[in-house]
Order: sequence, then C-alpha cells, then structure tokens
Amino acid sequence: MTIADVVKILDGKLMAGDGTSPRAVGAVVANDLMSDVLLHDADDILLLTSLASDQAIRTAHIVGAMGVVVHNAKPLSETMIKVANDLAIPLVSSPLAKYDACVRLHDAFLAEERG
Amino acid sequence: MGSEYTPTILQGQQTSDDEILAKTPLDTKALGGDSSVIIMELLQRFKVRDVMKRQIISIARSATLREAQRLMRENRISGLPVCEEGRLYGIVSVNDIINGLDRGWMSDACEKHMATNLVVLEAGMPLAFALRYFNNYTYGRFPVLDSNRKLVGIVSQRDVMRALLYELSVEIRKLERKTSNNTQERAAGESYFRREWAVVRNDLSRAGHAANDIKSILRERKVDRTVSRRVAVAAYELEINICIHSHGGVLVLLISDETVTITAKDRGPGIPDIEWACRDGTSTANDWIRSMGFGAGMGLSNSKRVADKFDIQSEVGKFTKVTCTFNLKKQQEGAGS
Repeated sequence: MTIADVVKILDGKLMAGDGTSPRAVGAVVANDLMSDVLLHDADDILLLTSLASDQAIRTAHIVGAMGVVVHNAKPLSETMIKVANDLAIPLVSSPLAKYDACVRLHDAFLAEERG
Repeated sequence: MGSEYTPTILQGQQTSDDEILAKTPLDTKALGGDSSVIIMELLQRFKVRDVMKRQIISIARSATLREAQRLMRENRISGLPVCEEGRLYGIVSVNDIINGLDRGWMSDACEKHMATNLVVLEAGMPLAFALRYFNNYTYGRFPVLDSNRKLVGIVSQRDVMRALLYELSVEIRKLERKTSNNTQERAAGESYFRREWAVVRNDLSRAGHAANDIKSILRERKVDRTVSRRVAVAAYELEINICIHSHGGVLVLLISDETVTITAKDRGPGIPDIEWACRDGTSTANDWIRSMGFGAGMGLSNSKRVADKFDIQSEVGKFTKVTCTFNLKKQQEGAGS
C-alpha cells in the first residue's frame, strides 16, 4: 500500500510531498502524542494524527515515517505544509475520523493479504 | 556555560552603531541560517533594564514650560519626564512646548500641560515586549519603571537597536568560530564532527529542527539506520525539553569514530528531583505544551531508553545537562554477527 493508495482509501487529498513514492506502508501508528510515536521501532510507519502542527511532521521525519495523515479535515497551516515539503514527508488530509480511517486501512490490508 | 550566555549590559557610548555594523558580517546564511534564532533568543534573554538609559533628565511638576524647553534644548532630547522622588507624573514633549509657544503658556507649570496618559515599560520585561510597544505606539521612547513603580530609566528604539546590533556581532563571531571548528583532528589522530544548535525557550515552531538536521547529518555520514533513529529520538526529546521546560540552551552533536554523543545544556531552572523527572509519565508540562503533542513526561525516559549511556546533571536555579552516548562499533559488530 503506497501513499497514493492511502489517499484513495481515506478519501484524502495530498497536501505536500511526493504522491508517487513507491514506499509501502510498513505499520500504521494512530496517535496524537509525539513521545508515544517516538517509541515505535517499526519501519515505514504511516502516522495518523489529529495533531495539525509542524511537530507531527518533524516526529515523522525522526522515525523515518513514509507519510502522515491528518484526519477530520483539520486545517493545515502553511508552515506545516512547508516543513513536510522540506523534509520530503508526504502529507495527506482526510475528512475521516481517526477510528474510521483505521478501520478502512485495516480492511484494505486484509483485502491486500487475500490478494 | 553560564559566563558564555551572560548578557552584556551596554553602558555609555562604547561603540558607535556604524562601528558595530562594520564589524557585523553580512552573509549570515553561511553560518547555517541560525541568525533568526539568535535574534529571537536575544529578544527573550535581554530585558528592558539591560538596554535602557539610566541617567534620567527630569523636571519637577511646578517648573515652567520655559524651563522644560531649556532643559530639552541643552540636552537635545524631545521628551522630558516630569518626576519627583522617583515617581513619574507625566511627560512634556516637543509638541507641548510648541503649543506653549503658540498659545503663550510658557510661564505655566509643566503639570498643567504635560501628558499624563502614559504608556510605560517595566524594567524586567523582555526586549520582545519593548519592540512590540514601539510597533503598536507612535512614541519614540518609553519611561521604564521598576517593580515599585519608580522611574528607573528611559528606552528609545535606538537603545534597543544598538544593543541588538552589538550582541549580534558577538554571537555571529561565536558562530563563525564554531563553524570553522566543526571538524577537527584530535591529538590521537581520531577525526570527529561537532555541531551546535541554539534552542529558544517556548519557540515550538522551530523546536525539532535541530533533531531533523541531526538525522539528515547522520544519514549523509552513512551512520547505521537504527543508530541514527535512536540518536534522532533522543535529540528530539531533549530539544523539546529545552524548549518547553528551560530558559533556553543548546543541543550539541559530536560524532567520533566510535560514538555519537548528544548533549543538551540549558540555563536553568534546573530539576529538583532528577529520579522523579526520569520516571515515565512524570511531567510539569502545561496544557499548551500538551496541545502541541508533548508533555506526557516521557522525554527523559525515552532518551534514556534509546541511549547506550545516559547521564544527567542538574543544579536548581542554574542548569541541566543531559548527555546521551551511542556506540557505533558495537552496532556494526552486532549487525555483522
């Protein structure tokens, strides 16, 4: 599942970064507390968060995340979009609530596994 | 560390603005783009009392406007505080003198025509406050009161600019020295890389940029991916800690052949109970910090968890210094086995 797939599954809109990146989602972390996110060791994390700030992007860069999704269509500041572009982190805005986004991604993973 | 950051208090006319400008290098981008951080830090670190003029020329309430005019002309000032025993009653401006000449009030007492609706600054306010006042009001100078509401100085835009220019030239020199010393050779022949970032108190819009830089540097230098991530996590947590809990400080990256070291040094307020502060979930953060995704009390414990060696020293009212060391050789050997 690439960032382009994530945009489609979550009815999202790519706000920054490369939407054609071939990197696949390795793990999904849904969290608003950045210290919690820093605890995860997984590679290629897709971060789902309601934290619409630069810190979400900076945290994603630190853990080597493959993308960030901000849910509930929260407005994203220009600086957040700039930081995402600077650090080459794809940033997606989704109208879905965090729980609904998690369910859709879970279903999509199951469908992917079943082939 | 303390002496390096002790603000210089400007007194008298030591250096002219032109001299300072001439000494200030124009290309601050070459210094890693840290100049805006330095300015912001100076604006917070410096207080109004550090730049104000302490020699106050004032006049009594009963003195006439003609006496005020003479004092203003002799001292080449455009505003005169009306003050008795430290208490500020008003200000006579050039406008009041012009009105006095125009309407024949020059023999009247100052208290009759002085401005009494005054905007004042407090000596302990950060310079950032003073700049906001100069932006919001059209006055060229503000009286400065101490905590007992006594008049202790006058500050003009020129005073603020002089202090900033002087301190900037000092800071830029320090940065120049650091930039040229980033890579050095040790006596034993071991090469190491060193870089330092200033972290400004409460500036969450920039907090994390040092950690992001550190991650990029480690990637460029082909440091093992797992180690890079652990170093970046510690750097990020410590940078956020300096930003939200301290009066400001620095984050230092040191890469040698065998280790990567992150050192976070701040200028207080210090930690009274280090053991308590290092426990998971203990925090003194407020709601504002939590709204930015931090403040869950995991900063120090997260840094300790990812580091091979963790050291913390603190003195209440003075400083906190945290050092996280990461082994490079061990990781490479481990990866190979």
